[in-house]
Amino acid sequence: MRLSDLAYQAERFGLVIVWIAVIAVFGALRPDTFLTWSNFSTIFGSEAVLVIVTLGLVIPLTAGDFDLSIAQTLTFTSMLTAIMSAKMGVALDVVIPVTLAAGALIGVINGTITLYFRVHSLIVTLGVGTFLHGVTLWISDSQTIGGVSPALMQYVIIQRFFGIPISFYYAIGLAALIWYGLAYTAFGQQLLFTGRGREVGRLTGVAVGRVRLISFVASGMMGAIAGLLYTGTTGSANPSSGTMLLLPAFAAAFLGATCIKPGRFNAWGSVVAVYFLVTGINGLSVLGFRTFVQDLFYGGALIVAVMVSQLISGRKERNL
Amino acid sequence: MMRYLSTTAIASTVLLALALPAFAQDGTATAAANIAAYSGIPAFVAAGDPFDAKACMADKSIFTIPASSAIPFIKTITDHKAEIAGALGFKHEVWENQGNPTQWIQGIEYAVNNKFNLVSLLAGADPRFFEPQVKAAQEAGLKVVVSHLTGLEQDAPAGVDAATAIDYRKAGELMADWTIAKTGGKVNALVVVSNEALSTDSIVSGLTEAFKTRCPDCVFEIVNVPITDWATKIQPTVAGALQSNPNLNYVIPIYDSMSTFVTPAIAIAAKGDAVKVVTFNGTPFVLDLIRDGSVEMDIGENLDWIAHAMLDAEMRLLCGLAPIRDSKVPLRVFSAANIGEAGSPADAAKGYGDAYVKGYQDLWKISQ
Repeated sequence: MRLSDLAYQAERFGLVIVWIAVIAVFGALRPDTFLTWSNFSTIFGSEAVLVIVTLGLVIPLTAGDFDLSIAQTLTFTSMLTAIMSAKMGVALDVVIPVTLAAGALIGVINGTITLYFRVHSLIVTLGVGTFLHGVTLWISDSQTIGGVSPALMQYVIIQRFFGIPISFYYAIGLAALIWYGLAYTAFGQQLLFTGRGREVGRLTGVAVGRVRLISFVASGMMGAIAGLLYTGTTGSANPSSGTMLLLPAFAAAFLGATCIKPGRFNAWGSVVAVYFLVTGINGLSVLGFRTFVQDLFYGGALIVAVMVSQLISGRKERNL
Repeated sequence: MMRYLSTTAIASTVLLALALPAFAQDGTATAAANIAAYSGIPAFVAAGDPFDAKACMADKSIFTIPASSAIPFIKTITDHKAEIAGALGFKHEVWENQGNPTQWIQGIEYAVNNKFNLVSLLAGADPRFFEPQVKAAQEAGLKVVVSHLTGLEQDAPAGVDAATAIDYRKAGELMADWTIAKTGGKVNALVVVSNEALSTDSIVSGLTEAFKTRCPDCVFEIVNVPITDWATKIQPTVAGALQSNPNLNYVIPIYDSMSTFVTPAIAIAAKGDAVKVVTFNGTPFVLDLIRDGSVEMDIGENLDWIAHAMLDAEMRLLCGLAPIRDSKVPLRVFSAANIGEAGSPADAAKGYGDAYVKGYQDLWKISQ
């Protein structure tokens, strides 16, 4: 194996190796509690929502667009789910398609405004997200809505495989779907061309506008899936708490772009990034560190990983 | 001399060993008695003498700045305050905001410009963040008060004219008492707090004191999670504690809206049978969690009663009566035994009887 190949492999799996090292360090410090299956089931089962939000961001980011409204889509659809289920008594087999349709509609609005008016997606999704927050506060009367159908919790955190709540497997299933879609379908390639150079994509026959619109719709639907799972995890919907997931999700998406397929936003890299960050935070909690240390780890890990990745790749200029 | 010392030491140890179980029993009994005393429907106690509220408030106005209109607990109180003011026929406005101190500053400036008589900083709008604006409002002739922010033993912060307090210390004591009584003095608890809230000091001092005096062998760890981080940090913090401390039997989130993030951590760790949740505030959706078993106990405050009590204190100040420090808003312990009284789904004003409504009508001389 040539030296450049070795460096590339080191870059691809660098974060995975660091993740294993983090597990080894915490495992050595607290083998009796950290290295237990129940702890790993907590690590894997507790952040499925964050994985899905991150995966939702990966799709428009690949197309060169930002979706800052995804956390508000999550919060809005979570509230919509709770209101329909708890206040209106609507059955889950109606609630789920309506919620997904709401997420898709938000994606259509984001995409249409961005494409038709030629406004940067950062501004459009910021505006749509803030508008959605207002709608969420309005429809909920700023109240937390509890009393959601127990069946939703049953299909999110109560049912388990190998001791891990089922929501983890949904997240992994979606990661596999996005990985396949991006790597092995024509649409995935078109999405990548669109993100790398819109004019080049257009000249090679890619319907850039349609591809970008679909990426917003997909992102909106991922936000809605995350909203459904969030409601199923907490058994209620809070009008503002989901919004706090936006920055951690962006951090994980950028961190994920440093591994597996370095330089590209990718599904498995995002999954590794989320669980690397969650493992660190869980380990610090198990060791009894105060909560501000979690921020030090989160921010520090992101910056260090990106720096190391750049060093390994010879500090090439990158456009993310 | 050595023999004397060792005899004394042995005698002391024997006496201590004999006394400790009795002490532990006493502590548990005291804790159980406190819980029993706060489990029934509370009685109405007037905070001051009766006065003619309608006549005195006819030409006066109150401007309420809540900590955040997006927090269900606070939104309910402001809504009820507005309703009561409407019934009494005086001008009352609420400055809707989302918890940003710059919005509080805009609110207080709006109150000055529109010549309100009193600004009520409600349930967490902390005047320490905008002391110059408080001073400017006072110089313009407005009274500025904090309502439902401080404990009984805490002074009014940032030079405001009055602080109408809640017995937060008692709430802290009752949370500790519940766990002591339920475990017979074998508590191993994680206490989740938010230090930036002024009421936290008071709650934590009550809780710590109760453990110290009634259960010195009880173990508890306090972790601080800032309010803005509740959604992202409470769940992993609790999950970590559940793993690192297999003997944990209670999680005490001192504000009940934190429970949303505590209960999933316990459910994911499959420790719902071993680890119970006790908390404070009586927010309706958390009271509903008692019914489904995710929360064991919630110390409730009647949000409508709070609205009455805060307005009572504010009106007294505007009417030239003595300021009220102790709002006399009672606490009630809700558990599976009495949750039915809170309504299904739970209502912010149910489960406390209705004597207070008549009580305030008499106090304000508006009885039908």
